[in-house]
Amino acid sequence: MAQADGVPLPDAAPSCVSKLVLLGSGSVGKSSLVLRYVKGDFKSVLPTVGCAFFTKVVAVGNVALKLEIWDTAGQEKYHSVCHLYFRGAQVAMLVYDVTRKESFLRAQQWLEDLEKELQPGEIVVALVGNKTDLEEKRQEGKEFAESRGLLFMETSARLNHQVSEIFSAVAQELLQRDMARLGSSPLGNSGAMRLNQAPTRRTKCCSH
Amino acid sequence: MSLKSERRGIHVDQSELLCKKGCGYYGNPAWQGFCSKCWREEYHKARQKQIQEDWELAERLQREEEEAFASSQSSQGAQSLTFSKFEEKKTNEKTRKVTTVKKFFSASSRVGSKKEIQEAKAPSPSINRQTSIETDRVSKEFIEFLKTFHKTGQEIYKQTKMFLETMHYKRELSIEEQSECTQDFYQSVAERMQTRGKVPPEKVEKIMDQIEKYIMTRLYKYVFCPETTDDEKKDLAIQKRIRALHWVTPQMLCVPVNEEIPEVSDMVVKAITDIIEMDSKRVPRDKLACITRCSQHIFNAIKITKNEPASADDFLPTLIYIVLKGNPPRLQSNIQYITRFCNPSRLMTGEDGYYFTNLCCAVAFIEKLDAQSLNLSQEDFDGYMSGQTSPRKQEPESWAPDACLGVKQMYKNLDLLSQLNERQERIMNEAKKLEKDLIDWTDGVAKEVQDIVEKYPLEIKPTAQPLAAIDSENVENDKLPPPLQPQVYAG
Repeated sequence: MAQADGVPLPDAAPSCVSKLVLLGSGSVGKSSLVLRYVKGDFKSVLPTVGCAFFTKVVAVGNVALKLEIWDTAGQEKYHSVCHLYFRGAQVAMLVYDVTRKESFLRAQQWLEDLEKELQPGEIVVALVGNKTDLEEKRQEGKEFAESRGLLFMETSARLNHQVSEIFSAVAQELLQRDMARLGSSPLGNSGAMRLNQAPTRRTKCCSH
Repeated sequence: MSLKSERRGIHVDQSELLCKKGCGYYGNPAWQGFCSKCWREEYHKARQKQIQEDWELAERLQREEEEAFASSQSSQGAQSLTFSKFEEKKTNEKTRKVTTVKKFFSASSRVGSKKEIQEAKAPSPSINRQTSIETDRVSKEFIEFLKTFHKTGQEIYKQTKMFLETMHYKRELSIEEQSECTQDFYQSVAERMQTRGKVPPEKVEKIMDQIEKYIMTRLYKYVFCPETTDDEKKDLAIQKRIRALHWVTPQMLCVPVNEEIPEVSDMVVKAITDIIEMDSKRVPRDKLACITRCSQHIFNAIKITKNEPASADDFLPTLIYIVLKGNPPRLQSNIQYITRFCNPSRLMTGEDGYYFTNLCCAVAFIEKLDAQSLNLSQEDFDGYMSGQTSPRKQEPESWAPDACLGVKQMYKNLDLLSQLNERQERIMNEAKKLEKDLIDWTDGVAKEVQDIVEKYPLEIKPTAQPLAAIDSENVENDKLPPPLQPQVYAG
């Protein structure tokens, strides 16, 4: 509503906090990705004590959105307890390593877990193929994302390629959903609407 | 007269309704004609006075007692023999008296308030009935804090009081219902503040924290680990489980922490202290703060070891290790309590929420932990769990570096003890052998003697002559010289 009027929301914006969970196998570059995004560096300086919890304010148009990024342990053995992280999350970022097939399969497993735990449309899911600097881009990730209605992007945390783009795409999607909810909350098929929206968003962010 | 009384029944003078203190608010006979605020002040003052008096009385009693003791000691000095007994009695008496005085004083706040109620015959609000020193301090702070918000503060205070009152009557309900009530209350108060009071969001957060602190210090006693739930059973279960897993080493969990570095082991100790301290806090947010502090120490430990900031891949295993090592008391109760009664915005988002979620993950992991998650074979795992084998015995060099000094000493002592045990057993065996030898020897000697006795039986031959004939038959007598005859020499 506010965006339609073109009026920025100075007060309400910072109070709106969105929780983003980073999921993915060990050493696919979850931490590097978020480090690159939040601090704008790739393990060159050691900024804080811990690199597991971050907050970042994202500007989408004239609205500021506060993202809270929760990193999770990627080791296989912790997979069974990680559903605890999902509670109250608005965004899930499934990260995989484009050079490792099994990490991609793990990402698909995460998606299934998410769907088991949460209602469809309750959460924005983005599939992120990291480490593109090591290998040529692959097609399978994109196809999979399209078939499941996910946001998709291939990134390189080392080269800082598409890193901030994926986060702002996620923020944009979040905002759009909020708008849809506020604007057309009586609609029963809001879930379907969101699924329809995802592809349009994706084409836009991939064209960057 | 009847008319008068009737009139009286209907008409009440305005001045009678107002607070006796003249603050402009209406009074209440239940509060001795004061308004609620003035009554609280009066009541508090009286109580402070009572406490002060009790204290003075206690001091005076003690002083008198000491003086009496001192004088008796000087006068009784001479009769030291009887005195020692007397002194014993006296000191006994004295300590007894002092402890009763102390007891009297420590409970004075409660005793005082009870006395107060009886004397005034005006019951104070029911929620005030049981108050401790900490609760008093927190309420005072809360009121002070709300004063800075003037009218909104008053409104909030009223609402919180009302909430506590309703919670008092809901004590019988299930814990889930009580939790729901509390969560509803948090939500409604926050909404009211934002919509009616026009309080900016960051201030709302601060006020919410204070409200939580105030109500939870009061409710803690009734809603922490309540009897109606199986929280306690779960506490014991996880405690037992952690104890059974005492053999888990950092290597098995892939913990990136090297405790050989003194700073790191320092951090580990601090982290364990913090996680254990969680149980001592009453307010959910204070408990969360303990978890956050613990987590920060863990991050520090990893950072010193690895020389780079820790990611979640490092953090979770280390937290699990800390929980295993610390075995914090009433872990499940604390987690349940925080989940039920913490302001939900704190749990779902924010740094505190993140670390809390990690702790929940750690506990869930410990509950499910199996051979695979420690990279062990099933036989090894079962062996360690049953205590038949220990991973430390098999590879002593792996535990030696990370074991602290005390543990090393303990192992040394254990070794020594087992050596001593061996020696003692040897001594026992030898002693037994010696005993046997001795018995054999005596038996042998006895047998030999027996044999000889049998072989050469002792025969006592009867004497031929009777004893009386000894002198007459003595043939030797003839050979003796004749007896000397006395001779007289002429001198």
